[in-house]
Amino acid sequence: MQPKRHLLMGTGLVTLLAVLGVAQYLLQQSAAAQAKGAVQAPRFEVDPLWPKPLPNHWLLGSTIGVSVDAQDHVWIIHRSSATLNNNERGAELDPPTGECCKGAPPVLEFDQAGNLLRHWGGPGQGYEWPQSNHGITIDYKGNVWIGGNGADDGQVLKFTQDGTFIKQFGMEWGGAGSNDTWAFGQVAKIFVDKGANEAYIADGYRNHRVAVIDADSGQFKRMWGAYGNKPDDTNIGRYNPDAPPAQQFRNPVHCAELSTDGFVYVCDRVNDRIQVFTKDGKFVKEQFVAKRSLADGSVWDIAFSKDPQQKYLYLADGRNQKVHLIERQTLQVLTSFGDGGRQPSEFFGAHSIASDSKGNIYITETYEGKRVQKFVYKGIGPVTKENQGVVWPSRTSSHED
Amino acid sequence: MNRTRNVLVGAGLFALLVGLGFGQSALQKSAAAQAKGAVQAPRFEVDPMWPKPLPNHWVYGNVIGVGVDSRDHVYIIHRGAGSLEPKEIYATTNPPSSECCVPAPPVVEFDADGTFVRAWGGPGQGYEWPESNHGITPDLKGNLFIGGNGGNDGHVLKFTTDGKFVKQFGFAYASAGSNDMYAFNKVAKVSLDEAVNEAYVSDGYGNHRVAVMDMDTGKIKRYWGAYGNKPDDTPLGNYNPEAPLAQQFRNPVHCAEPSKDGFVYVCDRPNDRIQVFTKDGKFVKETQVAKTTRGDGSVWDIAFSKDAAQKYFYLADGANEKIHVFDRASLTYLTSFGDGGRQPGQFYAVHSIATDSKGNVYTTETYRGQRLQKFVYKGLAAVTKPNQGTVWPTKTSTH
Repeated sequence: MQPKRHLLMGTGLVTLLAVLGVAQYLLQQSAAAQAKGAVQAPRFEVDPLWPKPLPNHWLLGSTIGVSVDAQDHVWIIHRSSATLNNNERGAELDPPTGECCKGAPPVLEFDQAGNLLRHWGGPGQGYEWPQSNHGITIDYKGNVWIGGNGADDGQVLKFTQDGTFIKQFGMEWGGAGSNDTWAFGQVAKIFVDKGANEAYIADGYRNHRVAVIDADSGQFKRMWGAYGNKPDDTNIGRYNPDAPPAQQFRNPVHCAELSTDGFVYVCDRVNDRIQVFTKDGKFVKEQFVAKRSLADGSVWDIAFSKDPQQKYLYLADGRNQKVHLIERQTLQVLTSFGDGGRQPSEFFGAHSIASDSKGNIYITETYEGKRVQKFVYKGIGPVTKENQGVVWPSRTSSHED
Repeated sequence: MNRTRNVLVGAGLFALLVGLGFGQSALQKSAAAQAKGAVQAPRFEVDPMWPKPLPNHWVYGNVIGVGVDSRDHVYIIHRGAGSLEPKEIYATTNPPSSECCVPAPPVVEFDADGTFVRAWGGPGQGYEWPESNHGITPDLKGNLFIGGNGGNDGHVLKFTTDGKFVKQFGFAYASAGSNDMYAFNKVAKVSLDEAVNEAYVSDGYGNHRVAVMDMDTGKIKRYWGAYGNKPDDTPLGNYNPEAPLAQQFRNPVHCAEPSKDGFVYVCDRPNDRIQVFTKDGKFVKETQVAKTTRGDGSVWDIAFSKDAAQKYFYLADGANEKIHVFDRASLTYLTSFGDGGRQPGQFYAVHSIATDSKGNVYTTETYRGQRLQKFVYKGLAAVTKPNQGTVWPTKTSTH
């Protein structure tokens, strides 16, 4: 038995060396292609074994927020048992129907290796936990911001990374309109600007605006609607790709991300468009993406690439179940990856996206997707396909030993 | 740039050689454990990239059957649009309201590499497609047997593997009781004893019996209930782990697998038990598995290991979301793997299980799991844990 093993290992080594040779050749070819001026875009491969399995038979519910902190730890927020079916949460029924499973706490922190670190969240003293939490953002001070899109959610919460409550902005009373300055209307996501200590609120599932507040006091500073218009909550009906572009955001306003060069990129999800503004809310430009997408829309969430220029933006499209890779300056779609399904690099409800310092990206799925997936940055390469489909790593062995 | 790459490659090679050294050490340790006579059991690792993605933006609904043929092709059957939400099959609207997605046809075939071969199924001339198809089993002659557990499904269908209708047994009129000789009532699965041309019908979601029929004519030859009793359709109420053992199967009777040495292993799903019979329906023995499991029950499907002696069997438990590994002859539980979740090697309602000629295991998930997964056979290993949790391959590099 042992001599055979050695022989196999020897064969494996030869194979490996051959593969390394081929890899070298491919690298040279890739360089040649660059020289010819082909369109270049970041390349990604899913890591099917990230994060590590949760302990305690914990399950993720609809996973509706992701953010990466200064240590490259990955934070997610999900809806836990409220979005799990009875036939998958048998361990928390009374009496239990089986050992599997129960909802994990709503806020989870993972390290780069995918190990679960801290976990917390839910109702507590001194604040109103959202009826339906939505969006998580770690700010430049390391604090954790959480929105909510339940019927009465008009607030944003701020916690330390240990889950200690810091402050609530707005309140659990869903009556504030798009021109109110004391509460919000079902917030999707928050971005915090380090330079000005301002928080940009994607507001939201009932309101039709971007709102900017002081990140400490919560003092209301400014707001705007589509094209920089005064926001208006008049029902404008369903999105129609053949009608003139709507002069207001449709619900939900799903992200508002500030670039390092001072522009605010807004996800006008159901209108299938990104609108770009100055920090003061002056409209700069817009771009439609997959504009035939109806109903829940194509523009769900944005993450910028982590180079100093933020040359690219990555757009999660939970309707067409893919990630669009876009050149940020021109807003041109370069390529996309992903498809519908339950396998690695497939999605059902690709909802939130974030990038880490190494250029890797993380995507969460809502609906029945209920996952967080990691896509490893593989450098810049020539674009050969408009839609790459699933992006799997190449197999390193046949697993037949 | 190239120089950096070369340095990295060199470093990778060094890491690999160190890794090989450790691998050697682990092998020796494993051999030492064997020498000490530790309990051995088959070991598996999920292959997270099997099967290959479906074409045409196809997605699966509840995947409620899997079978492997003599060429190690893998067949699954799933429920398509009826088990998918409108928002995951937007591409079926007119006009399509997004690119994603479309339900795949109900029967999908893959080769051993996981490459899609063909897909077919659904209503057609000369047969009644089940209202809710359930279970798929290939024979050695290139046919497939399909059951169904919809409201009126009282029949079993036989097709060639490329989808040509061969024969219908029973009919779509599910009023046959557990003592009926002409039809079934919501069949979960069909398993084959090809040496004598007999099919074991797990009957099922409406009836409370195992029925044995001729594979060609469909003539019902014999049938039996729990403990070999005459089957009885009197409702038993919910399973209660504290109560005396039920004298009848509860619905669904979910598998009936004939072994090579002449026994039939029956999945009495909500009763949390396996009952073993002779081929004539004489009760031999039983074992309960995770017997406090309520509701859906723990005993969903069984596959035998592929060694000549069928030394082990693998039990899919869609309530506790794991695969139990048993010593077949003694019905001794050895170990288990799996847990709830959406990642590779985890399950949401692991429903059906099959093995191939190399000893690999395939599982399907119903409910909203809606997947097919492959677990690669890694040889026998000493049992170190009663529950292994998620069985992942080791990472080969950090990328």
